[in-house]
Amino acid sequence: MAGPREDPVLENHDIKEETKEKKDKEEREMAPSSANPIRRSSSRPQLDLSGAAIQGNFEERDPTILLPNQSDDISHLALDIGGSLIKLVYFSRHEDRSVEDKRKRTLKERLGVSNGNRRNYPILGGRLHFMKFETNKIYECLDFIHSEQLHRGGMDSRCWHSEPPANENAVIKATGGGAYKFADLFKEKLGVGLDKEDEMDCLVAGANFLLKAIRHEAFTHMEGQKEFVQIDHNDLFPYLLVNIGSGVSIIKVDGDGKFQRVSGTNAGGGTYWGLGKLLTKCKSFDELLELSQRGDNRKIDMLVGDIYGGMEYSKIGLSASTIASSFGKTISENKELEDYRPEDISLSLLRMISYNIGQISYLNALRFGLKRIFFGGFFIRGHAYTMDTISFAVQFWSKGQAQAMFLRHEGFLGALGAFMSDEKHGLDDLMAHQLVERFPMGAPYMGGKIHGPPLGDLNEKANPHMVAFSGIPQISWMEKFVQKGTEITAPVPMAPPGTTGLGGFEVPSSKGDTLRSDASALNVGVLHLVPTLEVFPLLADPKTYEPNTIDLSDHNELEYWYTVLSEHLPDLVDKAVASEGGTDDAKRRGDAFAHAFSAHLASPPSFCKGDLHASLKRLENRGSLRLMEEPAAYGKLGLANLLELREECLREFQFGDAYRSIKQRENEASLAVLPDLLMELDSMSEETRLHALIEGVLAANIFDWGSRACVDLYHKGTIIEIYRMSRKKMQRPWQASAVKIFHAMRSNYVWAFVYFQLFPCIQVDNFDIFKERMLGSGDKKPCSHRRALLFVDNSGADVVLGMLPLARELLRRGTEVVLVANSLPALNDVTAMELPEIVAEAAKHCDVLRKAAEAGGLLVDAMINIQDGSKENSSSVPLMVVENGCGSPCIDFRQVSSELAAAAKDADLIILEGMGRALHTNYNARFKCDALKEKLGVSAASFAPAAVAVAPGTASDAAGPAAVEEKTEFDMVIEEVPSNARIATIKAVRALTNLALKEAKDLIEGLPRKF
Amino acid sequence: MRYDDRHTLPDKQLPYGVVVDLTNLSKNKVRKMANSELRCKSEFHGAVIQGDLEEQDPSILFPNIPNDASLLSLDIGGTLVKVVYLSRHNTTCMKEWTKELSDGVSSNCPILGGLLHFVKFETKNLDECIEFLQSEQVFLGASSDLCQSVGSRKSIRIKATGGGAYKFANVFSERLGVTFDKMDEIASVVVGANFLLQEIDHEAFTHMNGEKIFININHNDLFPYLLVNIGSGVSMIKVTGNGKFERVTGTHFGGGTIFGLARLLTECQSYDEFLELSQHGDNRALDLTVGDIYGELGYPKHNLSASAIASSFGKVNGKRKLTEYKIEDIAATLLRDFTYHIAQISYLVATLSGLKRIYFGGSYIRGHASTMDNISYGLNYWSKGQIEAVFLRHEGFLGGLGALLSNENIDVDDLIPCKFIKQLPSGISTVRGESQGVPHGNLSEKAGLHEEVERLRAEVERLQKDNTMLNDKLEKLKNNDD
Repeated sequence: MAGPREDPVLENHDIKEETKEKKDKEEREMAPSSANPIRRSSSRPQLDLSGAAIQGNFEERDPTILLPNQSDDISHLALDIGGSLIKLVYFSRHEDRSVEDKRKRTLKERLGVSNGNRRNYPILGGRLHFMKFETNKIYECLDFIHSEQLHRGGMDSRCWHSEPPANENAVIKATGGGAYKFADLFKEKLGVGLDKEDEMDCLVAGANFLLKAIRHEAFTHMEGQKEFVQIDHNDLFPYLLVNIGSGVSIIKVDGDGKFQRVSGTNAGGGTYWGLGKLLTKCKSFDELLELSQRGDNRKIDMLVGDIYGGMEYSKIGLSASTIASSFGKTISENKELEDYRPEDISLSLLRMISYNIGQISYLNALRFGLKRIFFGGFFIRGHAYTMDTISFAVQFWSKGQAQAMFLRHEGFLGALGAFMSDEKHGLDDLMAHQLVERFPMGAPYMGGKIHGPPLGDLNEKANPHMVAFSGIPQISWMEKFVQKGTEITAPVPMAPPGTTGLGGFEVPSSKGDTLRSDASALNVGVLHLVPTLEVFPLLADPKTYEPNTIDLSDHNELEYWYTVLSEHLPDLVDKAVASEGGTDDAKRRGDAFAHAFSAHLASPPSFCKGDLHASLKRLENRGSLRLMEEPAAYGKLGLANLLELREECLREFQFGDAYRSIKQRENEASLAVLPDLLMELDSMSEETRLHALIEGVLAANIFDWGSRACVDLYHKGTIIEIYRMSRKKMQRPWQASAVKIFHAMRSNYVWAFVYFQLFPCIQVDNFDIFKERMLGSGDKKPCSHRRALLFVDNSGADVVLGMLPLARELLRRGTEVVLVANSLPALNDVTAMELPEIVAEAAKHCDVLRKAAEAGGLLVDAMINIQDGSKENSSSVPLMVVENGCGSPCIDFRQVSSELAAAAKDADLIILEGMGRALHTNYNARFKCDALKEKLGVSAASFAPAAVAVAPGTASDAAGPAAVEEKTEFDMVIEEVPSNARIATIKAVRALTNLALKEAKDLIEGLPRKF
Repeated sequence: MRYDDRHTLPDKQLPYGVVVDLTNLSKNKVRKMANSELRCKSEFHGAVIQGDLEEQDPSILFPNIPNDASLLSLDIGGTLVKVVYLSRHNTTCMKEWTKELSDGVSSNCPILGGLLHFVKFETKNLDECIEFLQSEQVFLGASSDLCQSVGSRKSIRIKATGGGAYKFANVFSERLGVTFDKMDEIASVVVGANFLLQEIDHEAFTHMNGEKIFININHNDLFPYLLVNIGSGVSMIKVTGNGKFERVTGTHFGGGTIFGLARLLTECQSYDEFLELSQHGDNRALDLTVGDIYGELGYPKHNLSASAIASSFGKVNGKRKLTEYKIEDIAATLLRDFTYHIAQISYLVATLSGLKRIYFGGSYIRGHASTMDNISYGLNYWSKGQIEAVFLRHEGFLGGLGALLSNENIDVDDLIPCKFIKQLPSGISTVRGESQGVPHGNLSEKAGLHEEVERLRAEVERLQKDNTMLNDKLEKLKNNDD
């Protein structure tokens, strides 16, 4: 069983490690068991709530040995100690798993990747954490650092019972005023010195890092709406950084380390707060901001209309509601300070300062010809209204020519910069594709707010020293979490989205008490650094590539997916608990997971099946769904991210693979019928076979755990039955609603077969085109593809009965086949480490597969040959397996494993299969080579006699770069849609056409109709 | 002569910067005005002093004015009503002229000249202004006959500008029976500024470290310049020629903001009171300086000295209540920081517009030495000495004057400098170029200054008495001669 040091959260590297361990074990046993091909859990850590067993911390282990060139006194921690907040950034590393298994070695040989060619990563992956503490609770911060041993380069979990030797020379990088003030305290409590870094250097370094390394770091904020902006890293400089602290510094940034403070103003956050304190009785900055939400500045400010008697001064473009003079109205009224509402005063002050900063910033940007202005600093602190006023001011003064942008991690610029100032960890040239941001389970509780040690970080350690040090009694993080989860059953009421906007300068709208001051609180997740991630080389245009087909910023989309995820949650919890043997511990973790994920979605923790709908309704009425209310709290959230969030959440609660047993059962069942299927296929003619293969892939893919309908279906039978049923019903033209998109992109063709609905009525497909490419027409024999990348989806029938036979066919045609599977489990998707065993099992029934698998190093028997370096094997076309670097049902081609990137270099055919990979994401993706996208989706009304079929007509074989958008080519027939499938149908239609939501709705409602 | 009436005059209720030629006012009118707290400045009694270099908004003598010119204009802003009107030299002719006007018959009677007067009222005390205008001495060429004789008041049109020209048009129509000829505010300000800069010597001056230096404007090299008009808000206008201008930008951060906050924080009743308070305060009690953050050395890396203000009011913390701060310190902070601020924005706008000259006008400068010093300092700081702040003596009346001059019957281009006789005191040649204002922040001189003003005032009264006495003697002698 798992030792206490087992890393409970699976990272890519961990997975590889596990594969290796498993492999090793299996090699030792020399008997890859077909009866239990996916046995992988024995080494799973079982959560033991009784303290020490959970010592395996979430973060890292054994980091000190990772960097050979690093001495122990370099900390991976940096602090920005400000007047009110301490910002803390620390880095935790993964272990180096340099041992490679044989599969990988073979793969590398095949793919021409040698260790010498590989980049030498200065660091080996890890995570960047962001934390905030209140400065007046500095002891919490010290406790936290101590408990994590961050000041000593992170905790060596193996020796935490012995105090590490004190190092007199240890230093922590620090910036901010407190770096001076608290230096002695740190020396005394932690025995480390603070290495003070210049504040402005840090700000700029932090901003540069974030803008380059995080894809959707910058956003605009207008009228309550966040919009994320993707910044081209090569075109980042120069920009203007406006840091609004007590005063305002305006910095022109020309490059890394190249910047100049060009201007500033003394009217900054300190002025707002200082005047605010004098004019109102507010005790805190936040209180003052809060007040401003309910203010009406017309009582205080002299507006153009006040001077012009309600008229506007249109000649110079001043409307009546433009502020002519802040506080100007108090001159002419014989009122005392007490006669004014503090709310109004606060709002006037806020506008006075914000508009002014906006103006000065804009003028400076203009002066230096800068296009981008980024705002940061404690004055902003993610406060929606402040951002709105600044945005408005910039827009107003620039007459719409300039836009204010804000940074999600703006509070951490200084700390991050201080961290970066330590050159030794070599994080400087990180690129976006190497970083994945993940939101830990506590994020919804902590996001954007000041908090002490995160749940599950401080107490789980059960570090006796820590306990002694802080005096905090030891409690289980899980208990705490569950308890915490229950506390939030009644979320703070918030305004529904879209109404929090400010009318701006023009209409001094002051939204009522419904607006929470931290309404736009941003969740700052943990940045996972995976240096081995790369951009998929076959993307036609990586810059414009957007993985998500569905835009979750659309409220209706979000609502739909919210419902899907929520409805699926109870079932998922059941499965997860079952996968861990249904123990009490698993049940508790299941509960905790439900809490955590619900919190992300801000759904009620009492998710019990019965009253789920009622609870949802209640929540909707209150408009308090976190994701729905504030989707941007998680950055630019695509569906892929949302789905990954769930998988990540599961992993955090140590559900390594919720579908483990189901996948196993499905695989076994499918493998049992595979020989018959292969025989049947072999008896067919070439054309029929091709047809049957494609059909098979489609039929086998119908099962989708993400779909409730499928789950229902599953309870009624096995997947094989479904497969048989669908095969039977599929007669060409396929009795499935079908969508095929034929993209012509220069000379490269992209086929996309996307099927919606299984049994209905539409018979459009582009099989003929595919057939022609595969078989040629007439006498012309097309040349085979060199290498095909098959992105596999589900376990069971999908991979065994669908993809493997297709792979076999391709192999026969002399095409190398690379099966691309998930690195981490997600739903019932097959993973890269399960695949070799499935292939090995399948190879028992098929020579083609066996030889290819041997050549690809997938079969243990073949190892000897490979090790001999015999070249004759390379003459047989290999079947390989690579991991894609993802742990989600979707795939983001900007971040794939280096293995996959290497495999892709020689590939000339891509086959994408599955709802997640071919529809939800990448539906619009364009590749440099042929691509076949296949998806047979089952809607909520899967077996109802209704259908959606969306089909672009025949190919537009001209060089139209985006044939999809040519609506004229679409041939679409939709018949009656059952009401319970309406949303799905509308979504489907929308995903495939450019119709606006309303039009799509009208379309669905006006059925049946052909157009 | 060394005095600065801004800070020492006790009459806080006085409409600001009043320069009234009271020679023609009857005694009861004077009393009436005094009762309504509309008192004139004592040192301007009589015709003896109509203006000197220290005087803000001195009267301007027009030797020759076409007879059909509009004689009165109003600039009604958010805070102040600025009145500019002309009084005639030749009252006989005036009477004829006004009679003709009322009869609607044109006459060729030449008007020999007049005095242009500048008066301010607070907008909230609009009644005072109306009363003042009702005093026939002022209204329409200081003719007491006019209001009584003119039956059809509706026909009288007055040039008016500022927002109040729209807002209060009905009030003026009802109370005075006059119709406003609404002039564009910015255009008027520009006309006024151009006129003053082109036609009036000793109009423009710099003010650094308490030293006021008049500058000669080369009329051929006046344009382009940036005109910063500090009223309740601030307008920034790029002027490229007579009638050629563009409002580049503005800010809501103006005199109204300073005074408004001052009203709330110090409970001072007038802006002058506030200015007076600010003279005795120290902004460092409330401002967070770079030195407060980084220590005595400042932040040399980014060129910030220890005394630079990092954050206005940044030192205020929750421990002290408003009442625990000296109102003088608050006033000093407000004035200093926000005037710096206006200077900064002006600099940025001038740089962006490629302008080297910035003229500051607007009622909120008030000829106040510290205000001007702050602006000059701020501009000097931000422009690294490249741009100098230049102020105008008639700062508050640019709009009003412009409106008056916008009369299509007065062709400003035709008014060449020699047509104007500037009202200069006899001492002009000796005071020129000398330090006239109160050195900024030199508080020890304040007490002495006050005494000096009192002394001078006594002197003036003595001289006036002497003058009367001498005149009497002269009359007697004349009579004797006869």
